[in-house]
Amino acid sequence: MKVTISRYDPVTGEQPHFVEYDVSVNTAARVLNVLDAVRDTIDPTFAYRHCCRGGQCGSCAVRVNGEPVLACMQEAHEGDVIEPLDLPRIRDLITDIAPVMAQIAWLNGGSECPEVRQADIDDIKPLRECIECYSCISSCPAISASDFKGPTIMRQEQRLNLDPRDNADRILEAIDKGLFSCTTCRKCVEVCPKDIDTPRKAIEKLRSEAMKRGLSLPAHKALASLIEKTGRSIERKETTFLEQVADVIEPEGEVRATIGFFVGCMFNGRVIQPALDAIELLRLNGIRVIIPKDQVCCGSPLIRTGFVGFIPELQKRNIDAFVKAGVDTVLTMCAGCGATLKNDYDTPFRVVDITEFLCEIGFKAPSKVAGTYTYHDPCHLLRGQGISKQPRILLESVAEKFVEMPARCCGAGGGVKSGQPEEAAKIGAVRAEMVKKTGADYIVTVCPFCEFHLHQVTGLPVKNIATLMMEGHRK
Amino acid sequence: MGIENTSDCHVLVIGSGGAGIRAAVEAENFGETIIVSKTITGKGGCTVMAEGGINAVLKDTDSIQAHFEDTMSGGAYLNDEDLVRTLTSEVPDRIRDLFTWGAVFDLAKDNCIAQRPFGGQRCARTCYAGDHTGHEIVMTLLEKLRSSSVTIENEVTVLDLLSDGEKVNGAITCDREGNLGLITADAVILATGGAGQVYDTTTNSTAGTGDGYALGYRAGAQLIDMEQVQFHPTGAVTPYDSRGRLITEAVRGEGGVLKNALGERFMEKYDPKRMELSTRDVVSRSIATEVLEGRDTEHGGVWLDVSHLPREQIESRLPIMLNQFLQFGVDIRTQPMEVAPTAHHFMGGLKITPDTLTTVPHLFAAGEVAGGVHGGNRLGGNALAETQVFGRRAGLSAGKCKRTARNIDDKQIKAAEDKLNSFYKGSTKTADVRQSMKMIMWNNVGIYRNELDLRVAERGIEKLQNTPLKISSSRELSDAVITENMLLVAKLVIEGALLRRESRGAHTRTDVKQTWTNADSPFGHTFFVKGKSGIEILENRL
Ligand SMILES: Cc1cc2nc3c(=O)[nH]c(=O)nc-3n(C[C@H](O)[C@H](O)[C@H](O)COP(=O)(O)OP(=O)(O)OC[C@H]3O[C@@H](n4cnc5c(N)ncnc54)[C@H](O)[C@@H]3O)c2cc1C
Ligand code: SF4
Ligand code: SF4
Ligand code: FES
Repeated sequence: MKVTISRYDPVTGEQPHFVEYDVSVNTAARVLNVLDAVRDTIDPTFAYRHCCRGGQCGSCAVRVNGEPVLACMQEAHEGDVIEPLDLPRIRDLITDIAPVMAQIAWLNGGSECPEVRQADIDDIKPLRECIECYSCISSCPAISASDFKGPTIMRQEQRLNLDPRDNADRILEAIDKGLFSCTTCRKCVEVCPKDIDTPRKAIEKLRSEAMKRGLSLPAHKALASLIEKTGRSIERKETTFLEQVADVIEPEGEVRATIGFFVGCMFNGRVIQPALDAIELLRLNGIRVIIPKDQVCCGSPLIRTGFVGFIPELQKRNIDAFVKAGVDTVLTMCAGCGATLKNDYDTPFRVVDITEFLCEIGFKAPSKVAGTYTYHDPCHLLRGQGISKQPRILLESVAEKFVEMPARCCGAGGGVKSGQPEEAAKIGAVRAEMVKKTGADYIVTVCPFCEFHLHQVTGLPVKNIATLMMEGHRK
Repeated sequence: MGIENTSDCHVLVIGSGGAGIRAAVEAENFGETIIVSKTITGKGGCTVMAEGGINAVLKDTDSIQAHFEDTMSGGAYLNDEDLVRTLTSEVPDRIRDLFTWGAVFDLAKDNCIAQRPFGGQRCARTCYAGDHTGHEIVMTLLEKLRSSSVTIENEVTVLDLLSDGEKVNGAITCDREGNLGLITADAVILATGGAGQVYDTTTNSTAGTGDGYALGYRAGAQLIDMEQVQFHPTGAVTPYDSRGRLITEAVRGEGGVLKNALGERFMEKYDPKRMELSTRDVVSRSIATEVLEGRDTEHGGVWLDVSHLPREQIESRLPIMLNQFLQFGVDIRTQPMEVAPTAHHFMGGLKITPDTLTTVPHLFAAGEVAGGVHGGNRLGGNALAETQVFGRRAGLSAGKCKRTARNIDDKQIKAAEDKLNSFYKGSTKTADVRQSMKMIMWNNVGIYRNELDLRVAERGIEKLQNTPLKISSSRELSDAVITENMLLVAKLVIEGALLRRESRGAHTRTDVKQTWTNADSPFGHTFFVKGKSGIEILENRL
């Protein structure tokens, strides 16, 4: 099996470089077996960490083809590119994890053990299985852009916060370690070998306790009171989308499907044209669109920033609105709204993203539109909803030229853009570099927040997928 | 070469598994403590991999006496009674320590620590945290350690113990880059775990190379019962590179059944009363017999099946098993697992008193590196118990050692340096030597043993010991020393197996007919001390 391994030895003064190795391994060998073979048969000084060989000790995390994995669990494939985690490097695949370990909090208990209930244990357990592999730390976009200490550090804060045996103030500590820096991009969940949902089970929970104690960021407080007052996260400055459109929009020709349309605050009040384009695109594809006017903010900005008190009210109003409209499918065109309706609501109807739905029922191919386009995966679509293929299918149908770009958070989410704009700009700058590398003239995406932010940090035109599709159709 | 790194402390702890960390947090109360591990602290060794649980008597329906009796009879009465008394009477308090320090053990409905049944025990006595009990214990201890003033040294391998002729007073170390160091101390605690890695197929972590047995032996300490190697009945058989990976006993504890290729629940033949929950030695021999007699599965194992259990039970109680098998394409909720015995635990080791003192002054040992607690066979859940009870005792005893003037034996250091230098002139790669050793041990010193095979192994290991190991850079130094340690351990296992002319516990001699039972065997411990070995004869039983 041929693999490429990144080697580095500070003693030689050489820069890190890739070396190709050809070793023989058994069927279904893991990446660790390949590393063993390199050490045992080619270079006994090759350095990498390993110990339990069974995904339990967390020593062996490396990047394979760019993504963090446990070498002992990941099946090896011909052509794999193996690199260390993106952490300060010591030698070959060995990184310096001591500074991260030093940030992990410990229980501050007394000599007496207070009562612990089964329910406490059940709450703590999902946060306890961390094997300290630091995959999440190495891929969190917020760390290098702020003084955020990272996902597993927050996981531990909440794990202790939930424990009746712990006596420290974990909320203040979490804030001190950068609680408000997380963009809720969920990259840490994607790479975690133990599937620990740190943003939802730790960060949002810590933020909501911070909120109860009045410790939220001023920008988040302001946003929350706006939503409570108006049912919207955007101040009304012009005629909104909902004020412009009919309740029911019949398609051209045969009715192939009927959906309820959830517009979301940004498309309703700030960038209205893409929503209008989306309606037209749906019509053109034989979809009847029902738009209940009493729908409100999905609550995403509240949940992500910890203001959960008003959520049941929003949930009820939205669910009632669509139930009254009698639809069994609700379509979103904002990644954040879609992820929230899918993951934070218990809806009696199905929720679909516009790209997901069009690919599912089939869509009319538009004419090609000139230019080079790249696609930015919104975190809340890619990881929040598991959707990555569908937008690309749509985009490839319309773009003259499509160039891929690896996914990375743009920095706009989780209340970071409003709460810590400098951090959002820094994360955005990294993304802008990646965009530049693709050589694309346009960025396409499916999230109004990404759209807005990417335009700011790249200066490039950013188009909603529906808008681009309609450009093709209008030709 | 030359040694530049030197440090000094009151207590030096070698190894950061359950025993080592427990010892360090206790020793700290007496003075400056250093804990070194050849891995990242806590991540190395086998504690972090322990899945099933930890035994302790916590309920009125159980008793310390019952735990004592189960341990003795499970251990084929080869156990040291004082050590077993200490283990069983103190472990309830050690569980309470862990719980007070934040351990997230599963609780029962009454909010008391939940317990499940394990093999060879008369009642549900095994406390657990899902199927990552060892991980939970290590995480709890690590938090405790991080909050302490103990100095933590990661990825530093101890190559040899230092001695001033009377007592042990430190260690020679080697870091990742091959830089040598000295740590001097008033007392040294060995907590280096077991040596499953001397076998081809093992559950052990790659750190399970038995260094502590070799370090202790070279320092003149007595070892006992090295032939008593537990083969866990249920190791994975596929894929090839994952062979030996542990399928926790909790799988059987939760109700998993064993079947041969013909679909027969074969434990009916071997132990109809206890069935799958018989002791490990019995279940391992039963599986080995099924395999030897041709009723094995495609890959030379038998089936272990939980698919009759409710899905939720499997998901909540055995999540690691479920996930590991899913990674290899088997869904244990609907499909059986293919299993076979795998080298798991060393019951033998350094001879200790209940205060963990070895036969060498100021040298203490706790955890798997020590011998005598488990006799001829360890009960599931008793090893984690051992790490906590004796880890704490080691910390106390070492902490109480008198402070003495340092008397460094330069000759010893020079000799070690010369020895290390000689590796540059060797001829054979360490990886090759290890591979040969593992195969020799697996093929000749496994579950069923006889003199002929043992002699073959003896010659094979001797030959390897006489093969000069080759390294090309100081970075391979510790690797070479560890390989030598492994060969020494292998040799002691074979010696013990030859000495013990009886079948007892995990040690089965097919070439010896015996008339006695475990309880009235005329033999006591096998013992090994610098060039001398033998077996205790209990005159009164002859
Ligand atoms: C897969 C598996 C599952 C198990 N499940 C259970 C169970 O459910 N219940 C139970 O009771 N027991 C179980 N056991 C047994 C139990 O885990 C071990 O016996 C016990 O954890 C040993 O602990 P220890 O502290 O002695 O050593 P270990 O945890 O093995 O730690 C050894 C330490 O020594 C260090 N070390 C070794 N050599 C050197 C050196 N030369 N220099 C420096 N440092 C060194 C290592 O880095 C490591 O930190 C299991 C064992 C395995 C392998
Ligand atoms: S959700 Fe994203 S920003 Fe937040 S901790 Fe995880 S990786 Fe970092
Ligand atoms: S949270 Fe997950 S990814 Fe992060 S260190 Fe723990 S196990 Fe690794
Ligand atoms: S070697 Fe322990 S997690 Fe991979």
